[in-house]
Amino acid sequence: MIVHRITGCCLLFCAALLFWPKNAAAHGGVVEEDDLCVIKVNYLRAHFKVYQPAVTGHKQYCEDLPVAAESVFVMEYQHDALSVMPVDFRIIRDVTGKGRFARMEDVERIENIGDATVFYRSAMVEPDVYIVNHEFTEEGDFIGIVSAQHPQTGKLYAAVFPFEVGFTGPGYWPFFIGLLLLVQLQYLLMSGRLKKCFGGGLAVAVLLTGGLFLPPAVSADELLVTYTVPDHKVELNRMHSWILHIEDASGGKIEGATIAVSGGMPEHDHGLPTEPRVTKDLGGGNYKLEGMRFHMRGRWEIVVTVITDNGTSVATITLQL
Amino acid sequence: MRSIVPRLAFVIAAAFLVYAAWLRWPAGPPEWSETEVQELRSLWLESLPALPPQPSNAVADNPVAAEFGRLLFFDSRLSGNGGISCATCHQPERRFTDGLQKGQAIGTTDRHTPSIVGSAYSPWQFWDGRRDSLWAQALAPLEDANEHATDRTEVLKLIAADELYRTSYESLFGALPDTTGGDAIAVNTVFANVGKSIAAFERTVMPTAARFDDYVQAVVDGDVENQRKIFSVDEALGLRLFIGVANCTQCHNGPLFTNHEFHNTGVISFPGDAPDKARVAGVREVLLAEFNCLSAYSDDPERRCDELLFARKDVSLIGAFKTPSLRNLENTAPFMHKGQLATISEVLDHYNDAPAAMIGHNEAKPLGLNTQELRRLEAFLATLNAPLTQAGESPVR
Repeated sequence: MIVHRITGCCLLFCAALLFWPKNAAAHGGVVEEDDLCVIKVNYLRAHFKVYQPAVTGHKQYCEDLPVAAESVFVMEYQHDALSVMPVDFRIIRDVTGKGRFARMEDVERIENIGDATVFYRSAMVEPDVYIVNHEFTEEGDFIGIVSAQHPQTGKLYAAVFPFEVGFTGPGYWPFFIGLLLLVQLQYLLMSGRLKKCFGGGLAVAVLLTGGLFLPPAVSADELLVTYTVPDHKVELNRMHSWILHIEDASGGKIEGATIAVSGGMPEHDHGLPTEPRVTKDLGGGNYKLEGMRFHMRGRWEIVVTVITDNGTSVATITLQL
Repeated sequence: MRSIVPRLAFVIAAAFLVYAAWLRWPAGPPEWSETEVQELRSLWLESLPALPPQPSNAVADNPVAAEFGRLLFFDSRLSGNGGISCATCHQPERRFTDGLQKGQAIGTTDRHTPSIVGSAYSPWQFWDGRRDSLWAQALAPLEDANEHATDRTEVLKLIAADELYRTSYESLFGALPDTTGGDAIAVNTVFANVGKSIAAFERTVMPTAARFDDYVQAVVDGDVENQRKIFSVDEALGLRLFIGVANCTQCHNGPLFTNHEFHNTGVISFPGDAPDKARVAGVREVLLAEFNCLSAYSDDPERRCDELLFARKDVSLIGAFKTPSLRNLENTAPFMHKGQLATISEVLDHYNDAPAAMIGHNEAKPLGLNTQELRRLEAFLATLNAPLTQAGESPVR
């Protein structure tokens, strides 16, 4: 029995080493901290947490839950792999007798899983964030089972996570997270998205990034980007358009460029309230930028990515409102 | 050893007295800097611009439509059980809210009833902005099973059967169509026109000047004596916190005290409900809505729909709700999108703590204000209540 347990611990440790990025592993295990349930592999990101809002408010759990109460399971996938897959969620009483070491094989051996089920949500595609709300009426050992189906191949992926209600101690969340990441990776590999992102040309990658923090300029050519506001002065909460004017270092007008615009307030950690776009190349290095609006006072940064035949250049315009 | 205890007790008592005195020490009213005066002007009702035009609604500013819309707004025949009108939840005597956590009509709605005062200024309607105009918004509750639980065909029948409604409708939109052949587009057009009339009424429901606005007038006039008459010291200091370190005007800016945008502020989920996805789902819905600025039922031939065309759609909008106005909070408790917080003081405590959001990311940062500062903020917020009319209702322009 002791040998069995030690083997289990070794497996857990190895799995943690395999799946966990360095910064998370540095915490040495599952700890209830703001950022600990966040796993990042490059830009892939999955965030798991459980709440018991009526009992402990905003306190997050990554594993065992202290009491039998309303429990909110949140799975935030910040990459779109899981957001397009039908995902189902089941919670069963632990009838495997394996407790914390229950695996998918043990779950598959259960003859009538329906009898052990305390919560089931059938497969559904949940964009943005996956949320399950279940009120536990009794304490004990439970097993959560998340299954995701690949939209093209129909192949089913499952993650199993034993946990206890009414107990606090180490759990198997790393397995759960690791399996889900595997599901994501598998999907990305099969759908060829990874290849597209890494091999499809930097220009495309820059456009897709679309966020606040664009990569540094690819080309060494410095471009000068200026703007004018023809309709109104820039005022709060009003949709308006800009004219962007783009020149190179020697004053040559840049025409026919592809332009992506993003931005936000770095100090407030948020982006623009709209998704502005360049809608017209006006000629003479001028471009019409529509859909601009600002909704807070303070320092704004507008990041203009200019893609020409000569490469990509990024300019940042700073405004104080 | 024996002598330390009384000394310690004395020191603690003295420290407590100093703290208590500091909390209650009368402070002077603030003198406003040039920048602060500018900020106060921006919040002043006098700075409210003219209503934005609503080209998708040709009768938006038509007084006949507004009167027709007013009758519809209070008419409980517009419901499956004959007992629910718009005013069931949007009660004029409660600043067009209902005092409940979630709206109660034929069933229980998903969220807290928002006020409609000044809502014509917002490019987005509902807590999650799932409609892009008042007229499109007005149609959704009519067919919601938990709200009015009627449908567009029944609405058309009512307009046709009621002499006054029929006359009003036809003077505005022309003859009621013959829909016996089941012409869906004709039915939808009548339904949209009903929404446009209700919207014309709602465009008249505007905030009126509150004590705060009188105070700003005194500030603009440089009349210090009058400032002291209008605001207590606590109220004035609360206002300084509001436009300063409490960061309230990041979102509650402009004369309506809202930027009409969507923010995740980490409000706790409602018991029994999953945390609300809010805007991230709302923006998806408004882009596909049957009635929106880009739909066939818009009256704008040019389809000037910048809000829809440039709407932000990404995951930063998870759990983000529209900033509500802070004017006229009196008699509108409870607060937040599902009425989770019972009092203003709970709301202030929430922003002071700024807990991590259950889903998405809380944009607010902890404020670290002390109890006295929170009390002053609360005192200031009460100065934003405009007087009700003699009939006990929120004033209608």
